[in-house]
Amino acid sequence: MESSQNPNTIPNSNPNRIQNPVSSQIAALWPTIDASLGLSGEESVSYARRFYKFGFALLPFLWAVNCFYFWPVLRDSHSFPRIRPYIVGSAIGFAVFMAIISSWALTFSIGGERLFGPVWNKLVMYNLADKLGLTGWS
Amino acid sequence: MAQNQRPTSILESLGEEIVRIVAPVSICMFMVVILVSILNSSSSSSAATVSSIATIAYNESSSDSLWDKFTGALLNSLVFVAIITVATFVMVLLFYLRCVKFLKYYMGFSAFIVLGFLGGEIALFLIEDFDVPVDCFSFLVVLFNFSAVGVLAVFMSKMPILVTQGYLVLIGMLVAYWFTLLPEWTTWALLVALALYDLAAVLLPVGPLRLLVELAISRDEDIPALVYEARPVVYHESSPRDAVQTRMRVWRERNEISGNLPAVLDSVSEGNVISESSVDEIETSDSNPNSESSVVRAEEGQVLIRNSELLVPLIDIGGNVQPHGEEVSASNENLMLEGIGLGSSGAIKLGLGDFIFYSVLVGRAAMYDYMTVYACYLAIVAGLGITLMLLAIYQKALPALPVSIALGIMFYFLTRLFLEVFVVQCSLNLLMF
Repeated sequence: MESSQNPNTIPNSNPNRIQNPVSSQIAALWPTIDASLGLSGEESVSYARRFYKFGFALLPFLWAVNCFYFWPVLRDSHSFPRIRPYIVGSAIGFAVFMAIISSWALTFSIGGERLFGPVWNKLVMYNLADKLGLTGWS
Repeated sequence: MAQNQRPTSILESLGEEIVRIVAPVSICMFMVVILVSILNSSSSSSAATVSSIATIAYNESSSDSLWDKFTGALLNSLVFVAIITVATFVMVLLFYLRCVKFLKYYMGFSAFIVLGFLGGEIALFLIEDFDVPVDCFSFLVVLFNFSAVGVLAVFMSKMPILVTQGYLVLIGMLVAYWFTLLPEWTTWALLVALALYDLAAVLLPVGPLRLLVELAISRDEDIPALVYEARPVVYHESSPRDAVQTRMRVWRERNEISGNLPAVLDSVSEGNVISESSVDEIETSDSNPNSESSVVRAEEGQVLIRNSELLVPLIDIGGNVQPHGEEVSASNENLMLEGIGLGSSGAIKLGLGDFIFYSVLVGRAAMYDYMTVYACYLAIVAGLGITLMLLAIYQKALPALPVSIALGIMFYFLTRLFLEVFVVQCSLNLLMF
């Protein structure tokens, strides 16, 4: 735990190793956030790659889960060199997607009818739900 | 072995495991109560009930007499239980014929339906209630993401434990909310009938769930189903042997009779092969946790834990939900799990059906008043504790529904009859609020 308290002091992890060799070694073993209950080294690479590729199917949430799952990879920048490119790619992809979606959603909700005109009423969800009877249940 | 050992009290070891199973059940119940309070207070009429498989025999309307409602509810619940029994037997057959892949894909598909359609409907309810100006594109993208990742998390791939557990709780919450939309008498009759069915299906030798468990045990396979597995408690003591001993003291009273025999495995005569994986593996972290089952057999004084899980299939939305040709087939079944057991890493496994029906009970109680919610919540948690104790004593697959549902229903009616009058009178006379 002490290794995570000094993240910004010195780039290399030598002081941490001196303080707490056992915990930093153990922490460096597990690439996933589940530590010993998660994936091992080899499986992690294939999982990270698979999550990264599947995220391109309009699934930015998968990229976010990827970053969450391999958080230790993002945290220590020099361990796990094989997994890191995928996780960094996922993080960038997720950030870009979030920027696009939130800007569109905020424009839509804040702009409202003044910005869009009558089209707004056709696109907003509760009107669509009424029109298509989606909440009728039966 | 001369290292300092931090003494673990029974509170830390046993208590931690129990909390890890009671917490998600409580979260699921809490969320269902919130949903029920938000969505049912806004729609004034309770006559907007759902036509589905569960009301196929009789659709309750508020103008019927008491006796009619009672018999109608009984009929509904009998039909529902019959359908579930048939579906479970079909599942046993499929499992017996080794169509496990088909079962997996089918359940992934039904999880997608539950998360996508039920989740979408409930989200739409909330959007309409709060007038959230969301447009259809972002809504659809978010919903698609949510359901796709949910299906991956629950069935297809290995994901962070938190994500999997979260999605299981969400699925339980969505289905439980849908069940609270059934008519009142039908709901209560259904709960009682399912508790009795669970008891029969798990404990009787001819019960489908017991057959399924025995098949899985004899083949050393996992049943593909929706089961919540609590995160196993990882001990940080430096002497692993002691840790295992403390655990064995709690869960394996049976083994003390046989002493420290290596790899004690009961005979399969009753299909009750129970074992406990070594905590060693998790702690020293030098072996792949997935291979515990093969390694542990050689360990002395340690035994493997079996999956003892049970299944109760659940019927999805059916009947006449067809607004614009949107086909929700009535035979679409969502296979879920009920019952409580011990997982392969020593963690407690609780079937999702239990989550659902506990939350249905509490949701129904919430439709009356919050007083009944508190009473039923306490009753259910007490029942769950009793079931866990029985699990520790009997060490085989047990039905988790009967005790909790019985206590819950009893407390609900007692509260309505007696406690409410008392509390109301106290409040009126300014004695207690």
